[in-house]
Amino acid sequence: MNDPILSVEGLQVNYGRVDAVRNVTFDVSAGSLVTLVGANGAGKTSILGAVSGLLRPRRGVIRFKGEDVTSWPAHRMVQAGLVQVPEGREILATLTVAENLTLGGWHRGRTLAGNVARMYDRFPVLAERRKLQAGALSGGEQQMLAIARALIAEPEVLLLDEPSMGLAPRIVDDVFAVIEEIRRTGTTVVLVEQNARRALAAADFGYVLETGEITHSGIAADLLADEKVIEAYLGLE
Amino acid sequence: MFQYTALITLIALAAILAYSFYAVLLAGQLSLAQIGIASLAVFTSALVVPVKPLFGFIPPLVVGIVFGVLVGMITAFILGLPLMRLRGIFLAIATLAFAEMVRIFLINQSWTNGAQGLSFPKLVGPGIAWTALIVVAFGFWRLAGSRLGRAFDAIREDELAATSMGINVARHRMISFVIAGAVSGLYGVLLGYFTRFADPNEFSFTAAVDGLVTAVVGGVALFIGPIFGGVFLTVLPELQRSFGIDASWIRPLISGILLLVVILFVPGGLAGLIPRRKSAGKLVTDPAAMPTLTTLPTRGTPLVNLRGLGKSYGGVHAVRAVDLELVAGEILGLIGPNGAGKTTLVNMVTGFTRPSVGTGEVLGAALTSRTKAHALAGAGVARTFQQIKLFGRLSALENVLVGGYRISKDTLLRRLIFLPSARRDERQSIAMASAQLARVGLADKAATPAGDLSYGDQRRLEIARALAAHPTLLVLDEPAAGMNRVEAGRLSELIRSLAADGIGILVIEHNVRMMLETCDRIMVLNFGEVIATGAPADIARDPAVLEAYLGATSSEAGDRVAEHMAQELTATADQANAPRQHPEGS
Amino acid sequence: MQQFMDGIFLGSIYSLFAVGYTLVIGVLDRLNMAHASVFSAGALVGIEFVTRFGLSIWLAVPIVMVVGAILGLVIERIAFRPLRGRHDAHFAGLISSIALGAVFIALLQARYGPDTSRFPPEAFPSTRFEFLGATVSLLQLLILAISMGLVVLLTWLVAKSKLGRGMRTIAENPHAAAVLGINVDRVTAVTFAISSAIGAVAGVLFTLNVNTANLGIGHAVELKGLAVIIVGGLGSLPGALVGGILLGLAEVYAVNYIGTSWRDMVAFGLLFLILVVRPQGLFGTRKTREV
Repeated sequence: MNDPILSVEGLQVNYGRVDAVRNVTFDVSAGSLVTLVGANGAGKTSILGAVSGLLRPRRGVIRFKGEDVTSWPAHRMVQAGLVQVPEGREILATLTVAENLTLGGWHRGRTLAGNVARMYDRFPVLAERRKLQAGALSGGEQQMLAIARALIAEPEVLLLDEPSMGLAPRIVDDVFAVIEEIRRTGTTVVLVEQNARRALAAADFGYVLETGEITHSGIAADLLADEKVIEAYLGLE
Repeated sequence: MFQYTALITLIALAAILAYSFYAVLLAGQLSLAQIGIASLAVFTSALVVPVKPLFGFIPPLVVGIVFGVLVGMITAFILGLPLMRLRGIFLAIATLAFAEMVRIFLINQSWTNGAQGLSFPKLVGPGIAWTALIVVAFGFWRLAGSRLGRAFDAIREDELAATSMGINVARHRMISFVIAGAVSGLYGVLLGYFTRFADPNEFSFTAAVDGLVTAVVGGVALFIGPIFGGVFLTVLPELQRSFGIDASWIRPLISGILLLVVILFVPGGLAGLIPRRKSAGKLVTDPAAMPTLTTLPTRGTPLVNLRGLGKSYGGVHAVRAVDLELVAGEILGLIGPNGAGKTTLVNMVTGFTRPSVGTGEVLGAALTSRTKAHALAGAGVARTFQQIKLFGRLSALENVLVGGYRISKDTLLRRLIFLPSARRDERQSIAMASAQLARVGLADKAATPAGDLSYGDQRRLEIARALAAHPTLLVLDEPAAGMNRVEAGRLSELIRSLAADGIGILVIEHNVRMMLETCDRIMVLNFGEVIATGAPADIARDPAVLEAYLGATSSEAGDRVAEHMAQELTATADQANAPRQHPEGS
Repeated sequence: MQQFMDGIFLGSIYSLFAVGYTLVIGVLDRLNMAHASVFSAGALVGIEFVTRFGLSIWLAVPIVMVVGAILGLVIERIAFRPLRGRHDAHFAGLISSIALGAVFIALLQARYGPDTSRFPPEAFPSTRFEFLGATVSLLQLLILAISMGLVVLLTWLVAKSKLGRGMRTIAENPHAAAVLGINVDRVTAVTFAISSAIGAVAGVLFTLNVNTANLGIGHAVELKGLAVIIVGGLGSLPGALVGGILLGLAEVYAVNYIGTSWRDMVAFGLLFLILVVRPQGLFGTRKTREV
């Protein structure tokens, strides 16, 4: 097995004196789709925040492509090829669709125009609305915009935080189709989801989080078949 | 010798000015109007202050002070009417504009002698200045532990949370502003009769900034703050002078640097350096001290009745036409995936969000566009928030004490003269708060600042704070988020015991097992619509529910879990429900 | 007509001061109270370069801009960046920038003394024109041109450039900006540098116009600047331009009709009225923010 492209060891994240994440360790091998599932407040978003440099962990080591990146700021992580699609999408509502996409390529100089054009090909609906303010898009379109905006930065690892949140089932299907497609291009994907069944069905490997700790981990298909995991997830144990 | 008398007097005056800023900062606002109010007070007092004692026995200075304080309060009130809805920078600039308008107006009046200024008799020395300062400081000291003081603390820390406790934020902002006006008026009069001269241009932007800086450097954490600030900023230049630092630029340089150091490295101001007093966490566990509480409505009394209530934001329907009924003693669960509209619905029930369509009644009050959240809270609705809204820098006990705002009486005036009844009332409040802390299992953490508690403890503290209001209807938004299984189990017991007391409870939670075990009825929301309502056992069997939660892809494991869960619930329903529905026994 | 032109010229200086002010508010939502001291610094440093080193005013202005930019970087680094994440960042930022402004003024006093100084009379040609029946000086035209030019340039910068996109992103959502890989610290620092560079140039032009400078001129303009940005709408660049000119006109006409001593009442009365009636200002669309 090849070295993991991303590894997290003994991660602890605090807000003030409150532990949000306690001693979390996981690996992501290149080209795989790994999912972290868990209920609200389980610490999923905090883990992604620490990995992408938005939060400074209290303890632990984060390695990306073999390098210790624990103390890197967010813009350096993006430059290095680790890009996040944040929870709630965080598109810039008063900027146009085109401006949002261009912002995704903040660190891409020459390849930017080409990347934007490719995204318009891939998401024709964004091309149609490129002059519109992003806030005028529907929820599903905004999610697509957020994903496209992240892809423009040419990530090696894409972190997706709750991409299905608040979307109708039909749109969720579309989002997962896009995720599947991204992963086929060789991009490593880390998917954080509340929608555990969908996420585990799509992933290679899964981790189940509860109150800031990993309680189960394994091949995604095995987890999906494991009653204990589902029970733990719903707080049923 | 003279210079020291002057210095001592100036310290007192600087501190009094700082108190006028402190009064507004206390409620989390920033105003610069004080200096204009002071100016108005001193110049108008010159018109009424007699040369000889009034009626032969009231000294002229007393007349001046009383008059100045009255002018200050009235001006602040009139000014507050249009301005109190402004916040932050806007309020600061509007009040600054007012102060400048006063200055320009007074300069152009003949009765103020314009820019030449007006002479006053010397009536104020260090004795009077310090007496005045001590009276003001005493007032703020007694304010600190009173019901009004707690309300200010709450507003400063979190306006929404304060509102949810029944505190009328607009009214309290006005009260703090009028207090500031009174102190400003006092300051103006004292200054005039001390320096024996006043010129409208002295009451300038720079003077306002000095007052603000003194208050902030001193700190808002403790009533003594402005005195610290006054001493620090008045003595500092004198100290430099006595060290032989003469160059006129060195003094402002050192003052500027010190001010920077204080603001950057001592966030609570100088008073923040004093360790917090111990009583911030002292419990009263004597059952005899508990207040007598009003009886809750009898079990089954309708508390909430919504008919087709909905909310849309710019065409997006967050909640569509929801019908909901909740009676006293009932636990109604609200579940559904993120973004389903649960919190929006709860916000409408508690008055924090105005409904777009439909009608509703909560504790007899109709939900309209004029419904005020603090009024509903005053009627007996208490709530917790999904994003925890505690007063982070107050101790756990102080948080719960604020929660008791609704059922306590104001104590400030009685505290000022140390009436025993005020002490009794406070003891009652603390006893009530202590009981709530004990009930949620936080009695041993009463003195800990809320922000330092663990996530689960913060959730429990929020519930204790809501309970301190002796609510008829309790709304809990994700109370178990971030709790482990054991903690969630204990929370479930707590919620059931509260319902047994007769409180109606509306609870949002993602922990499905906990909800199935806790609630009498469950309502499932998805995309703003009710997709299922019913008894827990039925909800557990409903495929739409698991689908909404886990996603549409079927999994045998999940289906087995659902069936298993439903059976278990049905089996235990009789034992579990029977004692709960008839808690008093028959 | 003369009054109208005078009002426009006076207003354009207010605009220039306010543009730098409002840029920081628009991007960072922070009121930088040290801006006034940068204005004073620009004037005094400019005078020194022209009188002591005999530089032409055309060379002194770029140097003043650089000095202003450096001051801006210092302000951001010392008075604002350390406060990030603090719950009282708004209050504290006001106070820390007041303190840093006082430090700047003290240092200026150490170097230049408390006395009034001025540009030598030959520093700028005193050419005058007749224009639509009013007399205008070359200097006034220049001030107007520079103000307009800077506002247009800045508006373009914020609307079209990469830096401007970064600014607008941070203004709308600092978290999203970080997620997108924008170096928030650097964009913020550059914003302060630009704002202060413009503030310093405003100081030079103001001094040329009134032909006198001292430590306190910044404070004199500061309150007017606040009025302008509120009237124009916090964070709005065109608002700062229009607000400045409106105030300039109002003051000039006020002097004529109600007398010099009441002149400042206009600015504050206007400010007060706008805040009561329309707090978001004439051109502002953003919501009222909390301190």
